[in-house]
Amino acid sequence: MVAQIKHVLPPVSRLHYKRGDLIIKQGDYGISIYKIVKGKVRIVRESGGKEVALATLGPGEVIGEMSFFNKSVEPRSASARALTDVEVEVWHPARLTREYEQMPPVIKLIADKMLSRLLKTNALIGKLGAKLEESKAQERPHEAEASGRRFYRKQVDLECSYRPIDAPPKARFPGKIKDISLAGIGMEVNSIGRSSVMHDLGELLHVSTVLPNNKEVEFIAKIVDIRKGRLPGRLFLGMAYVDVSEDARKKLGFFMMP
Amino acid sequence: MSIEKVIYGYIAHEEDYPDKTEIIQQGSKGDWAFVIIEGEVKVKKKTPKGWLTVDTLRKGDIFGEMAMITKGECLRTASVFANGPVKVGVLDTDRVIKDYESLSPQMRTLLRALVTRLKDSTDQLANLVSRIAG
Repeated sequence: MVAQIKHVLPPVSRLHYKRGDLIIKQGDYGISIYKIVKGKVRIVRESGGKEVALATLGPGEVIGEMSFFNKSVEPRSASARALTDVEVEVWHPARLTREYEQMPPVIKLIADKMLSRLLKTNALIGKLGAKLEESKAQERPHEAEASGRRFYRKQVDLECSYRPIDAPPKARFPGKIKDISLAGIGMEVNSIGRSSVMHDLGELLHVSTVLPNNKEVEFIAKIVDIRKGRLPGRLFLGMAYVDVSEDARKKLGFFMMP
Repeated sequence: MSIEKVIYGYIAHEEDYPDKTEIIQQGSKGDWAFVIIEGEVKVKKKTPKGWLTVDTLRKGDIFGEMAMITKGECLRTASVFANGPVKVGVLDTDRVIKDYESLSPQMRTLLRALVTRLKDSTDQLANLVSRIAG
């Protein structure tokens, strides 16, 4: 029994993010909880294309607790972005979920009430904040965009198949996914004997694969970067998701859990 | 909304307040929490532009729990006013805290994070509303 528990409880892992990285993206699914060990993190809510800062957190504080309390039936309600280089401790929610289920009902009730109030308040802040930004936009020039969206990338080595979106579903080319993030994938393909058009910047490809946890996912992604592969005749394509179903987002979100 | 059965066992005593009574005063000290048995209360924050209502709570809702979980270390973050006559149950702080302390340190950290986040968000909401109103 003890051995079994040990087996399902992965050790606490630590992750490093660079300044500007998104640690959590609003709208994604995920249930990991992060405790900040080093650095500063800003919690922002996106509403109407604008980011409204909700809080700035430092060492000792946790992020991602909302989805945990929500059992992740709701997507992440806010984004968390590294303001400095950040080190976090990742708490796997399995044990905590069990504790939550078994905790004294009165505490659970209080937690649930606080949670629903918080969700309501945050939704209001998002709305009002966007309104305020709108009215301010006329008064002062736009501030430069915050640093680009960079994501934690999980290194993988996954067989996949892909085809141009306008090709018949029967057309399938083998590729290899080398990394996955919540924004897209890095895919290695064979360029010999393939139409060069297919591997052009901006091309949309339909990609399907089976994640290591045996979940099948498919999505449409756009080629945003092309580099020579490590072997001759190989290309490394940087791809950004264009169309990912809700279901595929969930699977990817859970797979991305460190 | 109804009152969850579990909470009844934690009510130490009941109190009645007439309309407009300030049941909790923003900035004061105290670590007890209430559950609304009958009636309605308004949660208000004091801002430079006057009182701002940030929430309305009804039967079964709990208030004052933020100071309770932080064991009175944080002052009351908002005032709570009776909106019409209201009957509240005062929760037995010692028993709730005992339950709270039976939790793992990680779970307590999570709950405290929830309190902090709620406090920050409520402050920010009040701030935004007063800026828009002004």
